[in-house]
Amino acid sequence: MANDREVLREIWDGKIPVCFTLNSEEICDLQGPDPFYLMVPRLSYFPLCTEKVRKHFIRHIQSDKQEHEMWLEFNGIPLKWHYPIGVLLDIYFNDIQLPWNIVVHFDKFPENVLMHCQNKEVVEAHFLSCIKEADVLKHRGQIVSSMQKKDHTQLWNGIMNDKFDQFWSVNGRLMETSTEEGFKYIPFRCYTNEDKYIQKLVKPMNEEGQRKTLKHLLNEVFPDQENVTVRTHGIVPPLETPLQWMSEHLSYPDNFLHLIVITS
Amino acid sequence: MAAKEEISNVTTETKNKELDSTTEDPPTSLETISEGNAVRNGVQAAQKDKTKIDILLKATANAPIMKQKKWSVYQDNPIGRISEFIKKYLKLDPNERLFLYVNQTFAPAPDQTVKNLYDCYGADGKLVIHYCKSQAWG
Repeated sequence: MANDREVLREIWDGKIPVCFTLNSEEICDLQGPDPFYLMVPRLSYFPLCTEKVRKHFIRHIQSDKQEHEMWLEFNGIPLKWHYPIGVLLDIYFNDIQLPWNIVVHFDKFPENVLMHCQNKEVVEAHFLSCIKEADVLKHRGQIVSSMQKKDHTQLWNGIMNDKFDQFWSVNGRLMETSTEEGFKYIPFRCYTNEDKYIQKLVKPMNEEGQRKTLKHLLNEVFPDQENVTVRTHGIVPPLETPLQWMSEHLSYPDNFLHLIVITS
Repeated sequence: MAAKEEISNVTTETKNKELDSTTEDPPTSLETISEGNAVRNGVQAAQKDKTKIDILLKATANAPIMKQKKWSVYQDNPIGRISEFIKKYLKLDPNERLFLYVNQTFAPAPDQTVKNLYDCYGADGKLVIHYCKSQAWG
């Protein structure tokens, strides 16, 4: 894996420019705020990088709404904060021009669409739960359960503070395989539209002990469809990419591959 | 072993009632829901296996036990709906938090579907979900 560390680094460093504007209906002063521009890491989550956005807009809304939970919208669709930013970007890829224009709201929280997120601890709980689930698939949960609380904290701090080495010194253990066979199953989610994804048990090897590829995975998930391709991290990986390698190198920090089915 | 006994008790003692994805108030209207769907299931018996998934709801720690533990639910139901249902069934305050766990390990996101979880973590024809009023498994 050592020689492919550059891939991990490239993926980690992916950032996208976002232009945040306040929902015009919520502006309460005459002039209104300027838009707020920010480079956000693809691998992060919006609540981890929008503190400044909140501070920028809060002075321009009614004082009784300033304590409200902030939420984000793109093209009339509330953005799910519990998806990594890069996943949202890949889902709405066809409609997005950079910088990505996102509308900020403090009013009318869409209760039925979004989970509440009052603080970063909520994101942390969600993130660690994903890591645990992924380890159940990869190693029957044995590695994550053998870790100490400080290891979990280090994973979280790594992603929250954008520290690659800190994150990978622990995450490397979650990516280890003791046998030639690789992980027990590949943790992945295949997004077929903006709010639906498919998750299944797919092994990295076939019964003859040969490495399976992305093509095998897509055949297993979509047995009735041919020529399915997916996007992840803004790229379309070749169908012959080995699954085990993909899982080790193209997974998000939550240890899942997030694959967005390309619709033409 | 204990778990197995419990399961067999449940299956002999109660029929699988419906957790209808459209109903807003399952606990109080359970009887009518159950009858209404019983007729429909009779007609669509062949299709039932494809669209419904059996789930077993188990209390953990301080959570009250549900009298009926086994339910048949639409596979596209998000886990958040199951959580709402349990709260209503147990007459918990809507603001009270309820944590759902799969494999006694992780808490799925509310928009995760029953089907995805069953496909990955189901066994013996059903998905076991533990519920708890405080965080049970970190």
